[in-house]
Amino acid sequence: MKTIHKLFTSLAIILILVSCKDQDVEPTEEKTLFLRHKGADMPVWVHGNAQSNKIVLYLHGGPGDCAMCYRYYFKELENDMMVAYWDQRVAGASSGKVDSGTLRYNQFSEDAFYVVKLLKQQYPNAQIYLLAHSFGVELAWQFLTTNNNQQMISGLMAVNGIFSYYRWLYHVREWALREAKKQNNAEAERELLANPVTPENTATVNWELIYRWMHKLGGNPVSLYDDKKYLANYAFASPNTALAQFTHSKAYSYYGEVESRLFEKGALLKNIRIPVRLFWGIKDGIVPVEVGRETQQLLTNTSVSTVEFSQSWHEPFITETREFNNAVRSFVK
Amino acid sequence: MKNIHLSLYLMLGLLILTQKNTQAQSLRISYYGETITHYGLKTAYEYPIFSKIKERNQSRKMLLIAPSAALYRHPHNHFGIIIAPELIYRRIGKRSTLFEAGIAPAYFRYFLEGSTYQVTANGELERVRYAGGNAFLPTVFVGVGRDLSVRHSLPFTWYTRLNISQQRPYNTSALTRFSLEIGAIFPFKKQ
Repeated sequence: MKTIHKLFTSLAIILILVSCKDQDVEPTEEKTLFLRHKGADMPVWVHGNAQSNKIVLYLHGGPGDCAMCYRYYFKELENDMMVAYWDQRVAGASSGKVDSGTLRYNQFSEDAFYVVKLLKQQYPNAQIYLLAHSFGVELAWQFLTTNNNQQMISGLMAVNGIFSYYRWLYHVREWALREAKKQNNAEAERELLANPVTPENTATVNWELIYRWMHKLGGNPVSLYDDKKYLANYAFASPNTALAQFTHSKAYSYYGEVESRLFEKGALLKNIRIPVRLFWGIKDGIVPVEVGRETQQLLTNTSVSTVEFSQSWHEPFITETREFNNAVRSFVK
Repeated sequence: MKNIHLSLYLMLGLLILTQKNTQAQSLRISYYGETITHYGLKTAYEYPIFSKIKERNQSRKMLLIAPSAALYRHPHNHFGIIIAPELIYRRIGKRSTLFEAGIAPAYFRYFLEGSTYQVTANGELERVRYAGGNAFLPTVFVGVGRDLSVRHSLPFTWYTRLNISQQRPYNTSALTRFSLEIGAIFPFKKQ
């Protein structure tokens, strides 16, 4: 009789423990998902506060950059929300056997759709926000202006990214010319003046010359390689495939030479209905702040706010991490 | 795919060949990993196909073949299995120092460490169990070590080896990988 009693008591304790686990949401989420689509196995790492029911999906830049490698800067956001770090195809730790012909805006947008769908399937009660940086902003505009995709998203945070190749290159040249004059660099001024950017010549203009001068004139002096803590974290604590990062860029030659030069979403921004916050490092020469100001003017049918980071260039989350994360928090709340 | 088959056939051939006798054969066990956080184990069965002792300084030169298998984990990314027929040149000097170099046309199988969902033809997401991939992993390596049986009468050799591999296919092209082995070689019979 004693044995039966013990058995029932043990069984009851186990059942109570199991039922508690089923009903309670794990306070801290730490999940690795993979999306397999058109040859690519793309990781999506979800970390953070599961009880918040809010997911910030990070759309990394590049193309060919990585998401999880920036977790070092976004980690404190995970106390208040879940952050989903997605490595796009042929980027970060993505693997598989991928046709370089899929490296097009349409495909990236389709991938984003399925990533969001996967997150909605895994976290049906969660609101999803996009945090897009640089190329990630191009991807965000492509995604949000396609079909009814924006209905899946609660808001967009766009960081130093473009809506139009022409307007981008135009402002990069203007930025470089201003700096050339300020720094008395006659050679830069002469070469930049000889290469004007017009709507007619965007597909053929020598963009590399303009871009090179922008860098030489201090367009973005921030280097991740200067931060030894970051490097140690990248090498030993991130799930990235260390050397893969350096193999991706070769695959993007068509993007650089043809695809990106045709990118133009200016006329479609009026269709955006979800709240948008623009984050800008105002010293940036890669995507000058004037691009952000034009973006704001084109978003005529939604609420737009801007946060400018006075001490930052292209990656304000690196140079003003705390201020950046606070701005994300206030938008998502 | 042709290369993957070739490496598996080579591996099978070596396994059959090494069954013949255990004279001068050895077992190699080592830590295997890209870094200390991408950790794993490797084992190999070494079989000499050529061996020569230089009379002047008593150094030994060998040509070995070794079917090998490695397992490792890249946390939150994948589990890897590497099966390789290795061809090794090894020299053990008078002072028991070991130097080796070789090649291995390896077969690489990896399993993604996470729940994988595939987009189906009708746009739905379907769970894929044991998702991963196959690749050809040609590898070259160099190693150093010390045969402790020469001076210390210990029946093994410690060694460390640097592998440089190229994973094909990887995304749109190939991926170069570095990995390290640190371990010991145990002879089956005293040589």
